[in-house]
Amino acid sequence: MTATSQHGFHPDAESLSAFSEQALNERERMEVLAHLAVCGRCRQVVALAREAADAGEVTAAARLRKTNAPDSWWKQWRLVWVPTAVVAAFAAASISVYIERSDRHGPDIKIAEQNPAPSATPPSAPTPTEQAKVEPPAAAAPATPPTHTAKHAHSAAPEQLPAPAPPVVAAQMPSESEVPEPRGPAPGVAHRQEAMREPPPMSRADEQQSPPQLAMGNHSSSYSQPGSSAPEAQQEQAEEHRHAEVETSRMRSFKAKSATSGVHGANAAPPGGATEAVTVAAPPQLETQPAALPEPAPMLGLKHVRNVPTPAEPMQLPSGLASVSIASRGHFMLAIDKAGALFLSEDRGVTWERITTQWTGRAVAVHRHVAANDAMQTAPAAQNGTTGDSSAGSGAASPPPVLFELSNDKNQTWVSTDGRTWTPE
Amino acid sequence: MAPTESAGSADETGIPSGTGAPDCVLDSALADELWHGCDAARWGLTRDEFEQILLDAGTAQNFGLPEATTATRSQEKTFFRGLCVADLALARACARGNERAWEHFLAVYRQPLTRAAIAITGSETLGRDLADQLYAELYGLSVRDGQRRCPLLSYRGRGSLMGWLRTTLAQRHVDHYRRTRREEPIEEFDAPAPDPLSQTPARELSLLEQAIEQAVSGCDAEERFLLAAYYLDEQTLLEIGRVLGVHEATVSRRLHRATGQIRKQILKNLERNGMSRRAAQEAMGADPRDLEVNLKKLLQNSQSEAFQEQAAS
Repeated sequence: MTATSQHGFHPDAESLSAFSEQALNERERMEVLAHLAVCGRCRQVVALAREAADAGEVTAAARLRKTNAPDSWWKQWRLVWVPTAVVAAFAAASISVYIERSDRHGPDIKIAEQNPAPSATPPSAPTPTEQAKVEPPAAAAPATPPTHTAKHAHSAAPEQLPAPAPPVVAAQMPSESEVPEPRGPAPGVAHRQEAMREPPPMSRADEQQSPPQLAMGNHSSSYSQPGSSAPEAQQEQAEEHRHAEVETSRMRSFKAKSATSGVHGANAAPPGGATEAVTVAAPPQLETQPAALPEPAPMLGLKHVRNVPTPAEPMQLPSGLASVSIASRGHFMLAIDKAGALFLSEDRGVTWERITTQWTGRAVAVHRHVAANDAMQTAPAAQNGTTGDSSAGSGAASPPPVLFELSNDKNQTWVSTDGRTWTPE
Repeated sequence: MAPTESAGSADETGIPSGTGAPDCVLDSALADELWHGCDAARWGLTRDEFEQILLDAGTAQNFGLPEATTATRSQEKTFFRGLCVADLALARACARGNERAWEHFLAVYRQPLTRAAIAITGSETLGRDLADQLYAELYGLSVRDGQRRCPLLSYRGRGSLMGWLRTTLAQRHVDHYRRTRREEPIEEFDAPAPDPLSQTPARELSLLEQAIEQAVSGCDAEERFLLAAYYLDEQTLLEIGRVLGVHEATVSRRLHRATGQIRKQILKNLERNGMSRRAAQEAMGADPRDLEVNLKKLLQNSQSEAFQEQAAS
């Protein structure tokens, strides 16, 4: 201890420092404390030393923080990376699950929408390629995209021919799909989704089991405009095409037979002998056709009258001009070109024969007309089991049920039963 | 230094091994432990020099024991283990002028010393001046009686070297402040005139002053320190707590208890001097300005016996 003040001896710096640092034993501590109680100078010294120590600790702590700043920065970011990675992983998993579910449920929803829709192209439907072959050139002119239909027309069965012909619907879809469809899915999307997914076996089975009518109805409801009678018309039109195909095949076989018997040669006779030739050649064709069709005979005539397969586009005739009016009955067709010349074809437009003008003025239209009594006379014959062959034997006696009417530019009418001989009405 | 046979027996029996005289020896195992725990060899100190430094530090403070008390081996070990041996070796090496020790001292303590001086003085300029002045003294530029005097020789390792340096700076700053304060003019102070109506009888005031002096003088060292630090030095509870090493709430509780005991003791003293309890309580309500009690003088005149004895010796 050193004596430096008026109170005598003061504790030295070491004692005071040790007192502040609690490094003294109890006896030394009480001695220093007793001195501090009466010595303001030493109290002040201790207080200042303590204050300086606190300031030094604060400075050292600040320096330590500054020194550890990079580590702290890295540690902080390292701690941030962990929850960030967890959140990112969770988000990725959620997205993947969502995509997986959407892929899984998407086809189901699509199938649910079109559940009967698989029948949009029933198995019995011919492919668009076949359709193009069957339809006449004028009817086949509208391009038929083979995409939507070709995929499902993989199990065509001959015994299912009587079913409505959905290919017609499919062929008309592109043109109809051009009309904005507010309720149904976008055509592109539908095609894309259908192309992406593989139909499950269950849906395929349902597709085969679903009734064609229901399929047609649902399909038309999703692709055609609401309130239109397009499905019915399409169905009938498809039936007409199917009949045309059958008739074409039969016509070919009939031509082969008639070529050997010389009857067909009479058909190719000059216009002067057209009357006899028609009375011989046309009836067998007309009589044999109803016998081969499963549908009742009375309905046949009406259907043909109503549903004249008028091509949507003008037909190119041998004169080099486009047709302005066409009338047909099965494979028998009459067409008038823009110049007013009448042409006749017995093979649905494959070969044409020009008919000499037997009317005044310029022919502008040709129609088919069936007398009411004609159908009544034909129906009992079909119901009594009268075949085409029997009626063919009396073909000259029974008048042909179909009349063709030709109108000129003066609205005058000529009629004909064979398309070759025209008489004023 | 080889261990003596009597050292082991002294440890076991607790018989004092010496009186702090030069015949004191340091246990070899403890010496090895302390030697390897510091960089004394790095500062150019030999093993014998290191042991001698420890023995000098122990004998100078009588191993923390009161004067005329002989320390046992166990007490010596406890004292030596409580020393900041590394700081002590560095300080002695610096005092001897070892360059490596000085380089290390400057690298470690120069800037903290300057910051401590600035904190103590509250001024960067004064702080740097104070630190430079102390540094010059530490380097041994001051010469007395033809010998270089290094304050580091007074460091004995009881506390940390940095704490010793801070306390030394504080001592120098306080001493300098006290010297210069005496030269400042005293501000004129006009004391207010006492109110004649509220005056307490002189006899009661005299009894009250006497009772206060008796009560304060009867306080122990810690209570007087608390009263002085809080009421005279106007230190905060936090500052007092840091000095005592206790929480400020503890300081507050102890201070409240001290004032309560002093109040009770004053009442007892008044009653002992012939006043009734009611009169004593009324006397307690006297205006302090009527009292001629200098609490500062009263507290600071209560010189502790230890330092009085030390001063006498």
